[in-house]
Amino acid sequence: MIDRILILSVFVVASCGLAYELIAGALSSYLLGDSVLQFSSIIGCYLFAMGVGSHLSKYVRDGDVLARFVDIELLVGLLGGVSATVLFLTFSWLAAPFRVTLYALVFVIGVLVGMEIPLVMRALHARSAKFSDLVAKVLTFDYLGALAVSLLFPLVLAPRLGLARTGLLFGMLNVAVGLWTVWVFRGKLARPAAQVLRGAVVFVLLGAGFLASDRLVAWAEKGLFGDEIIHALTTPYQRLVITRWQDDTRLYINGNLQFSSRDEHRYHEALVHPALESAPWAQRVLILGGGDGLALREVLRYPNVKAVTLVDLDAEMTRLFSTAPSLVQLNKAAFADPRVTVVNQDAAQWIEHGDGMFDLAIADFPDPSSFALGKLYSVPFYRLLAKHVAANGYIVVQSTSPYYAPQAYWSIVRTLEEAGLHTWPYHAYVPSFGEWGFVLASAQGRFAPPTAYRLPMRFLDAEVTRGMFIFAPDMPKPAVEANRLNNQSLVHYFEEDWHRVIR
Amino acid sequence: MDRRTFLLAAGAAGATAASAGAFWHWLEIPATVQAPGRDLGHLLRNRRDLPPPRAQFEADVVILGSGAAGLAAAWRLAREGHRNFILVGGPEPHGNLAAGAAGELRYPTGAHYLPLPSRESTHVRDMLSDFGVILDGAQTDRPYYDERYVVHAPESRVLFDGVWHDGLIPTDTLPYAEREEQRRFFALIDILAAARGRDGRRAFAVPLDAATRDPTWRALDGASFAAWLDREGYRGRVLRAYLDYACRDDYGRGCDEVSAYAGLHYFASRVGEAANAERGAVLTWPEGLGALAQRLHAACGFASPASTATPKPWWLDGMAVSLRREAAGVEVLCVAPGTGGLETRRIRARRAICAMPLHVAAHVLDGLHDFGFDVREHMPAHAPWLVANFVLAGFPAELPGAALAWDNIVHGSANLGYVVSTHQDLRAGPPPRTVFTSYCALADLSPPAARKWMENAPPGELLERASADLRTAYGWKLGAVCEGASITLRAHAMAVPSPGYLANPGLRALREADGPLQFAHADLSGYSVFEEAAWWGECCARRVLSA
Repeated sequence: MIDRILILSVFVVASCGLAYELIAGALSSYLLGDSVLQFSSIIGCYLFAMGVGSHLSKYVRDGDVLARFVDIELLVGLLGGVSATVLFLTFSWLAAPFRVTLYALVFVIGVLVGMEIPLVMRALHARSAKFSDLVAKVLTFDYLGALAVSLLFPLVLAPRLGLARTGLLFGMLNVAVGLWTVWVFRGKLARPAAQVLRGAVVFVLLGAGFLASDRLVAWAEKGLFGDEIIHALTTPYQRLVITRWQDDTRLYINGNLQFSSRDEHRYHEALVHPALESAPWAQRVLILGGGDGLALREVLRYPNVKAVTLVDLDAEMTRLFSTAPSLVQLNKAAFADPRVTVVNQDAAQWIEHGDGMFDLAIADFPDPSSFALGKLYSVPFYRLLAKHVAANGYIVVQSTSPYYAPQAYWSIVRTLEEAGLHTWPYHAYVPSFGEWGFVLASAQGRFAPPTAYRLPMRFLDAEVTRGMFIFAPDMPKPAVEANRLNNQSLVHYFEEDWHRVIR
Repeated sequence: MDRRTFLLAAGAAGATAASAGAFWHWLEIPATVQAPGRDLGHLLRNRRDLPPPRAQFEADVVILGSGAAGLAAAWRLAREGHRNFILVGGPEPHGNLAAGAAGELRYPTGAHYLPLPSRESTHVRDMLSDFGVILDGAQTDRPYYDERYVVHAPESRVLFDGVWHDGLIPTDTLPYAEREEQRRFFALIDILAAARGRDGRRAFAVPLDAATRDPTWRALDGASFAAWLDREGYRGRVLRAYLDYACRDDYGRGCDEVSAYAGLHYFASRVGEAANAERGAVLTWPEGLGALAQRLHAACGFASPASTATPKPWWLDGMAVSLRREAAGVEVLCVAPGTGGLETRRIRARRAICAMPLHVAAHVLDGLHDFGFDVREHMPAHAPWLVANFVLAGFPAELPGAALAWDNIVHGSANLGYVVSTHQDLRAGPPPRTVFTSYCALADLSPPAARKWMENAPPGELLERASADLRTAYGWKLGAVCEGASITLRAHAMAVPSPGYLANPGLRALREADGPLQFAHADLSGYSVFEEAAWWGECCARRVLSA
């Protein structure tokens, strides 16, 4: 009977051991990205630490084996249990280096877990079990425990409980094994009462954490994004995080806000309608970027639009926005419209090698914060783009803030002009971004801001539209160069401008 | 230790060794080696064994060689409507402009960039304008270029003490005195770039033919660049390492072997400007100057001679093994690998343009000294080069500092760094695959010793040398992403402008040779760049056209 209890505890102990490893791996790949690297390095560190623990176990005297086993269970339960919560808080609130904390924690837990099995085997061996049976049994249950958790963790625990609560749950299991051992072997331990007391304290602590962890995690994520995260994924190109607070859904790419559902209508109406209202003949529309489908939603409102091609680099992004119900609701299932063709390719590659003529092209790219993104705002890029647009058609470019980044904004205007296009710069106030800029361009050179809209608008009307094309005296036009690939002055302007604004 | 433990331990050790072995094997880079022209070129040493000619062709002009000089001559003739010519491709089509491919990727196996052409390089500007590289104002002070071909930012970076710095010199890490010395050097270069001789020509110009003959400037050719730098007090360690790099990069040898005029020429002759790029910018393509070779080749509209009725110009594979003057012009014997071994062909023409390197011409043409060129006295030394292309499935993790640039240099290395073939791609995300091209001028060995080493070294040793800079930058991570390396050996890659090269009377005689036999090659300038080679091709074509 006693042996069976010890064997059962092996099963639990092994499950807990693997669980901590999986939690650390999942959490770090979630927060840092590059899951192959994170998982490999964490498994490596953990297994190595277990080896160190096994080695250290020989220094435990024969008489103390059970007592130390109980101590270790309590300590593993405490550390392993709170590991996910501590790491989360470290990442979001503390200045402490996250990786150092991560690997230190993984190492310490690994050492402790590594001591467990050797100690159990010694305890059983002392009860004169046959060694060959003993090894077979202990290892069988050890591996069975691992199998159980490796299936439970991804399928049930992580999705249902989340990482923090899964950790706390396994911590309580570890402590329970410790307490049980104390109970069964109470006659053989020197001071069982003290160990029960300690175990109880740890158990209560973990239990309280388990109940409060919702609030803890919410608090931690608030530190990161301010709101609850409803989707988070790392694609080969970027990290997408979607948050929600009450009726406000927000998309962050690599930590930068892309839209807030409260005011995105302002941004997307301003991006799409001045051009499409002025081109009632428009049948074919090209959207570059805009994988959230929100500009697409606005374009599809026009019955005269017969075909839309949307080119976005990131297949994960367009997939998310065409499947997740809350996001599909936001873009009014734009991706399901039969008029839409999605191309998951680098926009610059597509316009260089692709074909097709359009009446309107919308360039809705991330801001030009790197040399790679700057290529999407360059003279050759606009020259190539213009070849895909009818002579009387329009190009609209999202072009950062003329208020906060005036050099960058006017450099984009200058770049479009250098590519042989006439331009009409304009701007709109989007509360979550501030004053935001767009440029409308055309090869033929005829455009007047619309004085009425055929479709109902939430933000735009004749007066607002007229105002968008007027630049207030506190938004003067600086003397800037076009963005040439040779020196990418735009990237420098962008850095310089935002550096002045963000402290 | 009992038997069981021993077996266990041995098993574990074996498994560890096997997995370590598998890991190293995975990191190993498979390498292929090619030495263009080596086998065919060495035929020239015993050409008496060749079979008798099987076919005979006739043309007004025959051009021997398809590097920059041969292609430029052919392009000019074809462009002016003089299409009655045959071009013999030589042992390696396109010579130092050759390129390679790996799937969708293209890469250079020779020259990889062209500085913005100077005002004097009208011939290069004509080409670039024909090919749509210059969009507007080809012969103005500042032409407007298609930016896809002007090197994109960031252009270069240098690895210094484990950190990448922007630019070619890690200036920001240096003490004041060294920075001051650099400032003084580049201020002097600005003066030299604008300087003119008493004959009104530029002190330093590309093509060299357009530079001043003023002896006060030409006197700089009397000493080595190293000696001149010592005399002028440029002794900073970092500046000197950079200048040595620059000499090896353009001339294949270091400061101490290169003429002071050539050393300064490298910097002071790059005065080409663009309406839409910074001064000092360069033009480049994924396959390097192979892109220009392709365009020149295509613009000529070559056919291969199915019969004598095939409209000219013709392209013939193979290389010339003998070139003789005849009463009516010239007679050329060529060999090419055919179905049953080597085949010989005879070409008769009114004129020949000998667009091959001079050390080859000395074997092909018996009477080189009749032109005033003494092979023993006037032959420039040729520097050997090794160009290695590493095909990568992804980008290895970088050391800290500046991001990956087009040209990436390891400060103080004996190699010349590496360029990224996909740098000019118009794309925002990284491409799935890329090629890093590593350049090594073997300036640490004498040219004959370096050639001997190249001929005998096993591929592993060549790879070790070729990958030295990449290993410094990426360590074992290079092997993890590298699909394979293609190493090109160029034993006689370029003429070295040693002190006295400007006054070399043998070279001058060949430059001025007119009549049935003319010469076109960068060797005539005493150093090897596209503009010089193309210039001599242009001169030959002009003489043919005006005759």
